[in-house]
Amino acid sequence: MLRLLKNRKARGWLIQIATLTIAVGLVATFVLTARENLLNQGIATGFGFLERSTGWPISFALIDVSDRSPYWEMLLAGFLNTLLVGILGIALATVVGVTVGLMRISSNFMLNLLGTIFVETFRNIPLILQVIFWYALLTHLPRPRDAIDIGGAVFLTNRGLILPAFDMSGLDVVILVAAIIALVVLAARYAETLGSRVAWGSATCVALVLFLALLFFGRTPDAALVTLPELRGLRFVGGFTIKPEFTALLIAIMVFGGAYVGEIVRAGFLSVDRGRIEAASALGLSPWQVNRFVRIPLAIRAILPALSNQYIWLMKATTLGIAIGFPDYFMVVSTSINQAGQAIELLALLMGGFLLINYVMGASLNRLNAAIALKGRT
Amino acid sequence: MLKQTLAGALALGLAAAPAFADVGPTVQQIKDRGSLLCTGHNGSYLGFAEVDDNGEWSGFDIEFCKALATAILGSPDALQIIPVSWAQRFPALQSGDIDVIIKVTGWTMSRDTELGLQFSRPYFIGPTNILTRTELGAQSAADLEGGVFCINAGTSIERIVADWMGARNIEYESLTFEKAEELRAALYAGRCDALAGFGPFLAATRFNAPNPEDFVILEDVLALEPESIAARQGDDHFIDVINWMVHTLLFAEENGITQANVDEIRANPPSSSVERMLGVSPGYGERLGLPDDWGYNVIKAVGNYGEIYDRTVGDGSVYKLPRGLNNLWFNNGLLYTLVLD
Repeated sequence: MLRLLKNRKARGWLIQIATLTIAVGLVATFVLTARENLLNQGIATGFGFLERSTGWPISFALIDVSDRSPYWEMLLAGFLNTLLVGILGIALATVVGVTVGLMRISSNFMLNLLGTIFVETFRNIPLILQVIFWYALLTHLPRPRDAIDIGGAVFLTNRGLILPAFDMSGLDVVILVAAIIALVVLAARYAETLGSRVAWGSATCVALVLFLALLFFGRTPDAALVTLPELRGLRFVGGFTIKPEFTALLIAIMVFGGAYVGEIVRAGFLSVDRGRIEAASALGLSPWQVNRFVRIPLAIRAILPALSNQYIWLMKATTLGIAIGFPDYFMVVSTSINQAGQAIELLALLMGGFLLINYVMGASLNRLNAAIALKGRT
Repeated sequence: MLKQTLAGALALGLAAAPAFADVGPTVQQIKDRGSLLCTGHNGSYLGFAEVDDNGEWSGFDIEFCKALATAILGSPDALQIIPVSWAQRFPALQSGDIDVIIKVTGWTMSRDTELGLQFSRPYFIGPTNILTRTELGAQSAADLEGGVFCINAGTSIERIVADWMGARNIEYESLTFEKAEELRAALYAGRCDALAGFGPFLAATRFNAPNPEDFVILEDVLALEPESIAARQGDDHFIDVINWMVHTLLFAEENGITQANVDEIRANPPSSSVERMLGVSPGYGERLGLPDDWGYNVIKAVGNYGEIYDRTVGDGSVYKLPRGLNNLWFNNGLLYTLVLD
């Protein structure tokens, strides 16, 4: 035994095993204590409630849910809402961020000033205030009866932006968006081997075919291909409504995230060693080539780790939807806790859900980071 | 620890004379602490739990907290109001952050059976109504077909509206908010056509609107919800105290005993039950393990049910909510006293 302890390797293992035992023991004690206390308080435990119908609807969902849907479907709807607003928010924040970042490093005084004002304004106001601000702005648009009419097909009201719609289900739209993202990735990858025109052209064709297939086969029989919104009673019937809760949250994440991403992009570009750029110019590369082959690749390597953090942060920020009544995962869980009373189980599901999203996102960005890291150097 | 206390209480209960009630664990805790921990609200829930600029609480539910504190500890000031949201109220009770939930809490089956709660007799009958914009010209909920309904998230109203509209095949869109302030803001801004909710809350919402005439409460009663006081399951004694506290307030109203005349009536009680209730003759307190004059203390501190109602939500308040069903049975209400023998 003593000899074992003297062996450095064995000692290392023993310490690891002891630490693990203590950690597992702590978690087990916590679970058992909670269970016993709940039993003593006469609170039902377990996940049986997930099968029970909720009895309450939610205002926005990608899948078809109603007050008769069971809890698990309602939670799934909330989860998809979080993914939707999170992914769109991150994508838009990146576009805004890159634009603002480039404005801030540009030598044009006006662009520089505008970028600086944007960053300083939106980075220094708490996100929740921005969410409430955009929401207040959107809900003070005219009511459906006095809607702002754009060409008789698009209406802007305090119930949202109402657009003509193709007759597709929410699921079809999700499939389509996922397919388009996949196609863009593939096209970008094969652009060099196949030539960019062939790659992008075929990607566009595949997307169009998929869109038409979903439109014709995914719809309810005999429904019109396109429905135009029409005012009937208190609301617009037909068409597709983008709800103000969704829009407000999306704008807030886009703008707030954009300000931070902008700073990351700026820092990334500024971190590229001047010497390398001068060396590239000295080799006779044109300014565009310097950017394309030297500055951007190096900047991306500096940007990516910080950007991963920012993305995960933005995904978590979707929980602010609860402040303006957007039924994201957090709000659905919160309402379920109130209605079903299973606080511990639901909080575990909430944490598990966010852990899953953020872990997948973090892990893929880390892999990407490792894949593009400069080889042979640490 | 709790098990030991319970076992001890049980053993004592078997041994002691039946006339002396043993104090349950919750009342014992309250006595040891010297104050009652009762529910407030995160913000103001108008008429029921309002907080002013000095952090002073008032409202219908707060008066009941005061009455309970007086019953157990003899003073309405032996009370700490703990602000909790709708969602927090049940976990807060179970974890011991509060002793009792007096927060217009509907007596529902899942809460009663699965959350480890024990409900008192209803102390308020809450109708679920619909508040809508006058200009929509709606006469009943059916005229609001397709409209957007704003509802407090996580309340029983969500289910009541879904059931009611579903049964009548009326399509509607539900938009829920956690906080009453955002709910009201959404209605005032016109984001929703109607606000479905607890009648008194709607009256307060209408009263506080920039222009109250713009809003009207429809005649439809979607449901009547009995509001009860909730305590942790398994402390029967505490529920007894709560039930008899509610009884005291109603009994006083039935017998014309008010905050102003309680001393007078105590000096010259008209009947033997009034005599007992005011502690002139023994029995009202000792059977609950409370001082015999607790009933007197309660009325002296907060007045009878009618006075509380009038002061907080009724004609004496800004909300002018009619008594309606929250009246004694002989005044066409649904409230009644228990039998005080």
